[in-house]
Amino acid sequence: MTETVRLTVNGEECSVNVPPRAQLAEVLRDHLELTGTHLGCEHGVCGACTVMFDGKPVRSCITFAKSCEGADVETIEGHRGDKVMAMLREAFSRHHGLQCGFCTPGMLATARDIVARFDAPDEKTIRTELSGNLCRCTGYVGIVRAIQDVIDWRNASGLSAAGHLHPEPPVPTKIAPFSIRDETIPAFPPEPAGRVRTDGTWTTVNRDFSLTAPTSEVRDLFADIWSVASCIPGATVTNVTENRFEGNVEIRFGPIRATFRGIGGYSVNEGQKTGKISGRGDDRNGQSKLEGEMTYNIGPGTHGGSLVSAEIRFRIEGLLAQFNRPELVTGFVDYLLTRFTSNCEAVLSGGKATEALQLSVLSLAWSVLRSRLRKLFGHH
Amino acid sequence: MKPVGFDHTVPETLDAAIDALGAGGEVKLLGGGQSLGPMLNLRLARPERLVDIGRIDDLRSTAATDEYIEIGAGVTHAEIEDGAVPDPIPGMLPYVASGIAYRAVRNRGTLGGSLCHADPAADWISVMTALDARIVTAASDGGREIDMFTFVPGAYRTNLAPGEVVRAVRVPRFSEGAVWGYYKTCRKTGEFASAIGVFVADPAKAYCRVVFGAAAGRPLVSPTLARSIAETGRAPDLAALERELEALEPALSEVKARQLAVALRRAVSGAIG
Repeated sequence: MTETVRLTVNGEECSVNVPPRAQLAEVLRDHLELTGTHLGCEHGVCGACTVMFDGKPVRSCITFAKSCEGADVETIEGHRGDKVMAMLREAFSRHHGLQCGFCTPGMLATARDIVARFDAPDEKTIRTELSGNLCRCTGYVGIVRAIQDVIDWRNASGLSAAGHLHPEPPVPTKIAPFSIRDETIPAFPPEPAGRVRTDGTWTTVNRDFSLTAPTSEVRDLFADIWSVASCIPGATVTNVTENRFEGNVEIRFGPIRATFRGIGGYSVNEGQKTGKISGRGDDRNGQSKLEGEMTYNIGPGTHGGSLVSAEIRFRIEGLLAQFNRPELVTGFVDYLLTRFTSNCEAVLSGGKATEALQLSVLSLAWSVLRSRLRKLFGHH
Repeated sequence: MKPVGFDHTVPETLDAAIDALGAGGEVKLLGGGQSLGPMLNLRLARPERLVDIGRIDDLRSTAATDEYIEIGAGVTHAEIEDGAVPDPIPGMLPYVASGIAYRAVRNRGTLGGSLCHADPAADWISVMTALDARIVTAASDGGREIDMFTFVPGAYRTNLAPGEVVRAVRVPRFSEGAVWGYYKTCRKTGEFASAIGVFVADPAKAYCRVVFGAAAGRPLVSPTLARSIAETGRAPDLAALERELEALEPALSEVKARQLAVALRRAVSGAIG
């Protein structure tokens, strides 16, 4: 499905039919054949796609076409009659501010903005302002000089910048000691205690958490892959054969959604006191792989309850691996564990897990079937 | 890479946006799209529908009372950098805004979008926590005010209910004698911070707050350090900061704890010497 977007590009009114997912860069390059706008990283980091949008530089790779309705866009092919841009082009040539030319269209858009906003920037300021445009050829020296040259020319011509603020850090001011009013920081749900370590690939999280049910019930729950999976937020077991299972786990992390489908195994030892659940799977669309295992030990806790000591090891490969920062993972694992714990409590007290509704239905059906099977085979 | 296919609606009013959010399916609100855009292009996020709130005038307005400045969620970082909104604490918001990513990103990225994305390494969640700001939301039942502690329970998570939209951020006004410090460490200018330190003290309001950002999930707030800085008028030494970090978040690595301690010390020294 395409929609019509009307915008002005380099002074000409245009109308393009594009799908909702099209970015401004695609409109420029593929629909208007303005291939001077270059696409590098396509996630807003390299700056090659920078164009002027209503007079301000923006990333055309992360500006949706549909958000450009009525916008006035200038690309490297434009800037007609713009004396500053003409001077910048010349100065870039004169100072060897480009070699391969890939970064140049975006670099010039940013340079144009620096000249517009700054009266007399020093080299550090220019370099800081250029930090969002990567150049792999020049080492930036020529680019900085070119911009400096044009600003000097502009100032010598008696023109000034647009008078923008350039915020500075505060000037330190001594304060006399004073008393502060008490404030209560709202309590968060207590998170399980333990430690996290990573060797760069594998992350290991150790966590202890308490459950109110006695150890025998918790051990039964953990020994049953259907039941324990129903407590894992986002997990679905689709098939179990002996000690192997198939299933998927959906991970939700802010806007990120990944569904890892795969296989796993589980084993229970020493009268169900300890056990291990492992699995690995792929995210079909996102090209990420997840591999992990949880070993646990269920012992007596306080007030007749249980204490579960768990060690979770996992590694992530592919696109999602960039989110495998220990401090993010810690918070995320604790968030999942907190919900896992409350789901276990709910299931153990005869209810069902609040997360993974689909699975709750499955596991209820299974628990009925299981009790029949147990009678049949004489367990319990 | 192109994002997965999705529908893209651009409501003109807040009510229409709330209706669009409630229309079912996997929906994401799109502010300036400077965080969500990359995730869409990388296909880490694969929504069925985007509700683009960039054209809603209500979200772009600011209001000022004697107690607070209310900044519309759709105000961009560049607008804050350029002083387009009234200042609740002299110079702090423009300074923080000027250090967010790059100017081309600041021209589109919004205050509300950054807060809702709740990346622990982003600037506003820590700064708004230090300023005791409140999030003002709109929803079909009218909306509410949320304090920052409740609003960000963890990394990339907010307390927003389905169908609830952040309308504005309410920042209390500080007095003339208020001091602030902000320091962040980035491997490269404009990248996500590896450590953030924020310090705000207002003797006239008996207020002092100390926040470590880019730490773990949510910003870490230390009333203990705030009290000690207020009562001594001096920046704590690194050892004291590291001890407090150990108490606040035992899971931090030694390197992270040191980065955070240094960032906070520099923030405090920058404010009070």
